[in-house]
Amino acid sequence: MKIKIIKQILLWVIIPLIIIFGVVIFYDRAYAWISLCVAISGCIPFFLTYEKRQGNTIKLVILAVLIALSVAGRFIFSFLPHFKPVTAIVVLTGIYMGYEAGFVCGAFTALISNFIFGQGPWTPFQMFIWGLIGCLAGLLNKFLLKNFVLLLVFGAVAGVLFSCFMDIWTTFWYDGTFNMGRYLANIITALPVTVSYAVSNLIFLLILAKPFGKKLERLKIKYGV
Amino acid sequence: MENRKISGFNTLHPAVLFTYFVSVVIVAMFCTNPVMLFLALIGGVSFFGVMKGAKLFFQDLCFYILMAVFIAIINPLFSHNGVTPLFFMNGNPVTLEAILYGVDIALMLVGVIYWCKCYSEVMTTDKFLFLFGKAVPKLSLVLSAALRFIPLFRRKLKEIRSVQSSLGLYEKKGMINRVTAELKVFSSLITWSLENSVDTGASMKARGYGLKGRTHFSVFTFRKRDLGYLICIIVLVGIVILGMSMGISDFKFYPEISEFNFGLKQIAVYISFGILSFIPFLSELWEVIMWKYSASKI
Repeated sequence: MKIKIIKQILLWVIIPLIIIFGVVIFYDRAYAWISLCVAISGCIPFFLTYEKRQGNTIKLVILAVLIALSVAGRFIFSFLPHFKPVTAIVVLTGIYMGYEAGFVCGAFTALISNFIFGQGPWTPFQMFIWGLIGCLAGLLNKFLLKNFVLLLVFGAVAGVLFSCFMDIWTTFWYDGTFNMGRYLANIITALPVTVSYAVSNLIFLLILAKPFGKKLERLKIKYGV
Repeated sequence: MENRKISGFNTLHPAVLFTYFVSVVIVAMFCTNPVMLFLALIGGVSFFGVMKGAKLFFQDLCFYILMAVFIAIINPLFSHNGVTPLFFMNGNPVTLEAILYGVDIALMLVGVIYWCKCYSEVMTTDKFLFLFGKAVPKLSLVLSAALRFIPLFRRKLKEIRSVQSSLGLYEKKGMINRVTAELKVFSSLITWSLENSVDTGASMKARGYGLKGRTHFSVFTFRKRDLGYLICIIVLVGIVILGMSMGISDFKFYPEISEFNFGLKQIAVYISFGILSFIPFLSELWEVIMWKYSASKI
């Protein structure tokens, strides 16, 4: 109940106030300010929901393991640039552990890997976008579990969306307004990265999805999680 | 990690440090006034230099100067605002305002990146967890468990790799073989870690994790010195934000560059922000001087 009230106050009073305040002070960079506020405040309701709902210690630890695996995956495949299992694991977490867990997995992977690779103004955006990918996968889990091709398509699209969203932030930050020319230029220069994101998501989902499901199933049978 | 020194600013209370970094980074990130951006940049760079030593500092600086020049050159290609065209390229004007705005953006970007690097150095994960652990205990458990698992998994990964390579996994050369081999290793890491984690979770549950009345261990205490710093930071940020909201430090690039104003009010805002961005550097410097002074008395 308390969390619910805090959430409502946050959503309807504090966040709009912060945004208006920032627009007044940072008039020239209002868009960048708003997008940063949205990214940060967008994460909060998901975190609070997870905090409230999750009571099972074992599930908490499993989520921690999944986050650590997706960060560790960045080290394993470091010999291939941008070829990372992160999104695949976030998507699978969302599907098998619920949408809140998917969001937390995505957001925390971004946060922790930036503790290692360097924090920056991009951290809230990565947190929000990866979180949203996990959350979406969790919400669509019925379709994605039934249709394997759809899962692969979801992975590839998630890779492309991730890149496009990060470019929106870059554009706002540079220009203060949405400069279409710069946005397109950003997308084009990031094209190789985007393609390798999409391809790596596809490959990892293709190979990991089924064994991953089996492994979690096995945990359920063996330990009754 | 290995060249992290014990220093004056590092040992402040995490709440003070977090307030400080958030306020400086936000002002540096969203204001367009070149004077303030320059102050922020110099403050951040000098703090980083004091913390990391000269060698690493110059290596980094060269890279960022190149990046800044690149950003400044690129900006006029996308932005044709401004009233002073210098020349035309492909029928589009390249304006003085756009170039100067590019320089401004470059100042901001490099400044913010340096502040973020300082943040990463100073706000280590234990401080971060201490700050947010009480508000979201379950999530902070997930975060700290994940942080602990990463080195564990990397060690386990080495084991799996060496076992598999003795079984002949890595013999075939070529990129595709390498990727499939690593995937196999990754898959067995997933299995091992999931099984292992359930044991951890069950053991935590058996010891009563999540029951009421649990206390946290922390090494951080809020001292008088922290209070002093906190008041100082809040007053300075207050002056800066008040100044910005009254439009004192407004600076426009488009369509025409505003003139620099150095009235009494502007100078007050600049000085407050200058002091704010030099707090860490000055406190490090103070420590060094005090150390030299007390060493000379022995």
